[in-house]
Amino acid sequence: MIPGVDYHQRYWEDVAEGEELAPVEDEITYRRVVMNPATTWDYFPGHHDPEYAKAQGQPTIYINTMHFLGFIDRLATAWGGPASFITRRKMSMRHSIYAGDTMVGQGRVVRKYTDEPGGRTRHLVELEITVENQDGQLCVPATVHLELPARQAS
Amino acid sequence: MATVDEGTGYEIAFGTFEEAKAMVGQATPVRFGRVEVNAPMIQHFSMMTEDANASYWDEEYAVATWGALVSPPAMLMVWLMPLEWDPEGSRPEPLLTARVPLPGTTFVNASTDTEFFAPMRVGDHLNVVEEVVDVSEEKKTALGVGHFVTTLSTYRRQDGQLVAKNTNVLFRFGAEEEGS
Amino acid sequence: MTPEVPAEIGLTFGTYEEARALVGTRTSVVFAERAVTGALIKYFCAMVRDANASYWDEEYANQQWGGVISPPAMLLTWVVMPEWRPGDPSPAPMLLGRVPLPDPTVISVGTDMEFFVPMRVGDRLNVEETLVDVSPRKTTSLGEGHFLSTESFYRRGDGTPVARYVHDLFRFTPA
Repeated sequence: MIPGVDYHQRYWEDVAEGEELAPVEDEITYRRVVMNPATTWDYFPGHHDPEYAKAQGQPTIYINTMHFLGFIDRLATAWGGPASFITRRKMSMRHSIYAGDTMVGQGRVVRKYTDEPGGRTRHLVELEITVENQDGQLCVPATVHLELPARQAS
Repeated sequence: MATVDEGTGYEIAFGTFEEAKAMVGQATPVRFGRVEVNAPMIQHFSMMTEDANASYWDEEYAVATWGALVSPPAMLMVWLMPLEWDPEGSRPEPLLTARVPLPGTTFVNASTDTEFFAPMRVGDHLNVVEEVVDVSEEKKTALGVGHFVTTLSTYRRQDGQLVAKNTNVLFRFGAEEEGS
Repeated sequence: MTPEVPAEIGLTFGTYEEARALVGTRTSVVFAERAVTGALIKYFCAMVRDANASYWDEEYANQQWGGVISPPAMLLTWVVMPEWRPGDPSPAPMLLGRVPLPDPTVISVGTDMEFFVPMRVGDRLNVEETLVDVSPRKTTSLGEGHFLSTESFYRRGDGTPVARYVHDLFRFTPA
């Protein structure tokens, strides 16, 4: 076990619909936005060039899609545990998160279900996750389907 | 006294020339890089420098020549860069030069002298030991009044093989008036 | 309509009709230049501050998944074309950049990803993209332009389907 690394695992049987995920607040500095191209290799200038972002009609550089996705996945799997698997994630961009903003992630369980693709039973939960800015403005709504381990494997 | 400088995000230690001198000869504990030498980062760097060296791009050539794809020497420090965040909770390690207590509020790199003893190959896991070698008397330059801080960083591979020695001189300056 | 945004991002210009004519076009399979790599996973997780053991602890990940896995959000990173490579200084832009339209810039408006198997360190992915839709001209708070939709299939080298990705974008002229 590596200290600080998250091993806490949730099992499908223990989940209740309506359950809330632990909210996460994350301060997005310029340095954090510039980590977007550094770590995802997405060199679209809206994520590193404030002049370009302004010409686009944005106040300054903003985080890229992959950063949103990573933040959403972090929320989902921090709740579900490291043995959980994202089977589907759908999100839409309503508003950007700019350098200087704070990103606030929240979520809850809306459905608990199973399916059987190819004869294999998957134990799933559907999560509704939102990313807001510090003013409570909805930036990204997302739906995540997460496969959890079951205590009674089928 | 150490404060985190808002502009750079680095922790800078403040103190007197005498306190700084007392650090000369002190070595840091061995610190391992958080990542191994790897091909995607080598190629990403070579894309930036537009360096078409076959040792960085052609695995077959590199294996025959070096035993594996090798890192551009300029990436030496990249392999020891701390992560910006770490689940283990460690804050990015400030540069040793910034930890030398001096009055100067900022710094600029003056020179770097690196000697290489073995290529850095994909899969290598490097470690570094840093040492303060010298702190100069107060000097006045076009930038202002300050001290030159010389550090020696010794890089080794996981098997103990010496990889590189880097001597760095940094000018620590910016305090309006030097204290005694 | 004068583009005010610098045309530095390699977009193709043309008319809505030309863009419509491309709907249904599928790219040839693009093979990733790099394998899923542990070091890049660490840097990404440091950015989003994700402490998931599947990304950080090799022992745990080997036991759980057969190797360290990639955060799903890194799907696109594994197939990003380098900005430069020896002898080929200008790589082919992604399909969305090749759609001829009059507008000078683009922004993501939504993504939908379905994952079939985890991406493990050492996997080398390939991708096939299809232009699914180009909308008539619309006005939004950002400006006037067209919505684009692409659908991509990601596979491992051995053909195992890894993910399906639907990407919605807005190609626009700032208001």
